[in-house]
Amino acid sequence: MTRYVARRLLYLVPVWLGISLLAFSLALLAPGDPVRSTLQAQGIDAPSAEQVRELRRELGLDDPGPIRYAKWLAAAVQGDLGYSVRTGEPVLRSLADRFPRTAQLALIAIVLGLALALPLGILAALFRDRAMDHVSRLGALVGASIPSFWLAYLLIILFAVQLRLLPVAGSNTPQHVILPALTLAIGAAASLTRLTRSAMLEELTQEYVRTARSKGLRERSVVVGHALRNALIAIVTVTGIRLAGLLGGAVIVETIFAWPGIGKYVVDSISGRDYPTIQGFVLFAGTLVLLINLAVDLMYVALDPRVRLGGRAGGD
Amino acid sequence: MSRPISGARALAFLLATSIVAAACAPAATGPVASAAPQLADVQEVIVAAEADGYRNDGKRNLLGMFPLNTNVYETLVTLSPTYQVEPGLATKWEFRSPNTYRFTLRQGVKFHDGAPLTTKDVKAVMDRMATAGGGTVGIDEKSAVIVDELNIDITPKRTNLRALQQLVHPSWGIHKADADVNTKPVGTGPFKFTSYTKADRIVVEANGDYWGTKPTLRKITWRFIPDPNTRVLALQAGEVQAVTALPRESAKTVATGELRVATSKVGAYEAIYVNIHGKQPYDLGQDKAVREAIAYAIDKQGVVQNVWQGNAEVLQTMIPPDILGGSRSVVKGTNRDVAKAKKILDDAGWRAGADGIREKGGRKLQLTMVVGYPSPEIHRPMPEFAQAQLKEVGIDLKIVTTPDTAAYEKRLASGAEGDLWVEAGSQNDGNPCFLPDLLFASPVPGGDAESNMYGNAFAPGPKFDAAIKQCRESTSVEDVQKAAAGAMKLLIDDEFVVIPLAGTFRLFGLSNKVLDFVAHPAGVHQRWDSVRLAK
Repeated sequence: MTRYVARRLLYLVPVWLGISLLAFSLALLAPGDPVRSTLQAQGIDAPSAEQVRELRRELGLDDPGPIRYAKWLAAAVQGDLGYSVRTGEPVLRSLADRFPRTAQLALIAIVLGLALALPLGILAALFRDRAMDHVSRLGALVGASIPSFWLAYLLIILFAVQLRLLPVAGSNTPQHVILPALTLAIGAAASLTRLTRSAMLEELTQEYVRTARSKGLRERSVVVGHALRNALIAIVTVTGIRLAGLLGGAVIVETIFAWPGIGKYVVDSISGRDYPTIQGFVLFAGTLVLLINLAVDLMYVALDPRVRLGGRAGGD
Repeated sequence: MSRPISGARALAFLLATSIVAAACAPAATGPVASAAPQLADVQEVIVAAEADGYRNDGKRNLLGMFPLNTNVYETLVTLSPTYQVEPGLATKWEFRSPNTYRFTLRQGVKFHDGAPLTTKDVKAVMDRMATAGGGTVGIDEKSAVIVDELNIDITPKRTNLRALQQLVHPSWGIHKADADVNTKPVGTGPFKFTSYTKADRIVVEANGDYWGTKPTLRKITWRFIPDPNTRVLALQAGEVQAVTALPRESAKTVATGELRVATSKVGAYEAIYVNIHGKQPYDLGQDKAVREAIAYAIDKQGVVQNVWQGNAEVLQTMIPPDILGGSRSVVKGTNRDVAKAKKILDDAGWRAGADGIREKGGRKLQLTMVVGYPSPEIHRPMPEFAQAQLKEVGIDLKIVTTPDTAAYEKRLASGAEGDLWVEAGSQNDGNPCFLPDLLFASPVPGGDAESNMYGNAFAPGPKFDAAIKQCRESTSVEDVQKAAAGAMKLLIDDEFVVIPLAGTFRLFGLSNKVLDFVAHPAGVHQRWDSVRLAK
């Protein structure tokens, strides 16, 4: 187990370095001149050649690419992602200020999505080709087909404009999180419902399920304790991927609901050629994905002893 | 400029609105406020504004000042809705040759903390602007000189006789000398700063000691809601009473029942600039006949009705006509005349090929239109509209969209790869030469990079530069207007480098309870002190 975890951690290092190189290079390949963007953001619309040279030197843009990358990476590992060209704030602080809001929205959405998807998927599998299954599959199809911005407007019009039960946009009260979370949850629930159904269908046909039933176990124990536990491996994997996506910022939903998360901030940074923020965000989001993948890998160990045993059999 | 809305999302929004409106009972309608309304007991308004554009490094986007003007600050001189310079914190001003304006401060004006307005405060603002690059006026730390307790001289570091018209911009708002403009705004305006929550809201309250007519509203809250559709929905849900930058697609939907649309006069424009210095294959704009034919081929009235859905008017200049005063009729412009466009091309030797596209010397009349400033969305579907009309006269138009301003400018700066460049711009100060000077003056080695970038593609040459020089150096308002109109005539009537399409209105969505709101054509000059709230 320890060696399994250690090996997973070691894998992270080269991948993380690859992400950092990508983050650094992406910003360089984007159109626009960072010197000009910075000067404009500082209110200097007509900089002198000397001002341009000075800032270029100050930003380290005169150095060769590899040296710039090394300097940037060295600062990044110490928590210094530079300063935003647009806002003048430290990038890490800007991301850290907004990330809790995005995390709050993402976690509520994913929990809500799972709360919808697991029962629907399990019931659909248990009642295959019956009304419950058809309703579940239709719901999942519709949920997966509706674009999030469309759904967001529909929910606002229904719950805020017509019924006046919930606020349209903002983030001041607990009620404000309901509609954006529901918008994201429905999308997540759709794919998770279909996945749960198919994973459960597969598990329910396995020999161990038949054995459990023949031993006289209650159906609830068979379904939840045996079949679902094994189906969870696939569900956890996809949930992790979706969560990572949501934590990187649900740009459209955050924009529509004026939710002060990370997504809208980053999109504005991209439009404004705010290179330090773009680089910082890619590194930040990439690190998050790596950590979530690690968490998912560790959950495999908890869910499936074969992962542990397989590791030992392999000489680990 | 307002943040654009994507076409797909606008369509989805309208469709979503229709579906739910059909499924649910319609909202109750109420009477429009009468001429002598009863005022609400609580005079508080919530306004849905665009995305929070404030930054906090003391150089630009100053809290409460710009880009969202909350009427906390006032400038020495103000810009009227007809683009004329009017007294503000200065009651009079005098030009002192060769390059100085002397301003006389209004007496009895107090800051929100009770301190009197002094020339020291004005100097402090000028000095702060000098350290931030000098702004559009171009000042340095020596520019502001206190004459006495009431008078102050402002002398830009370079010859700039348009300083007076530039100082109307709210970024030159006067704050107390020792106040931090990024955290504790202290101005003299009709409203006092109360609070600011980043990306969420900014709140102001009435200034009971205001030197002018005291506002009726006690409190205004601007909530930052970046998505234009959500702003409309917030208005329809009754969460807010006013909406800035109402999307034109929503104007008809909003103007029903308890809501209405307030429209300003023309303050912005949409125009095509023709690349007259391009290299192959983007060199066809050098042919004046091609430029002239394009000007006559496009139906401006059609652009106004079909693209801007009536929320604009046909414009023959590229700046609001009001700013040209009595010289506005100098520029004649063009109207759609397909026969004339065809004849111009025939006379120039462009003959229709088998596919209807004209050719000359074996080269087809194929042009590329670049769309992306300030965003491609704001222009849609104008490019396709123009494409169809140009085809009628035998011009094949390829449309290239850039995702945003930076990509657009990169394309323009790196060899100006395109024949026709579509832009939407706005006039935010009282200087009629500002945009023609910035965009069409001949490039100057070591000069302003942005100006040179445009000049390399569009500058018509010495005759235009002479008109701009005259515009820069004139002292009387009439002479400035005449020079600006002359420069514009050269661009539009004589050389066809600029083809204005539409002068666009600024749109606000309002609850009918909001009274006496007057939409300013330049959004950064919007005032709220006359607004009242009905019961």
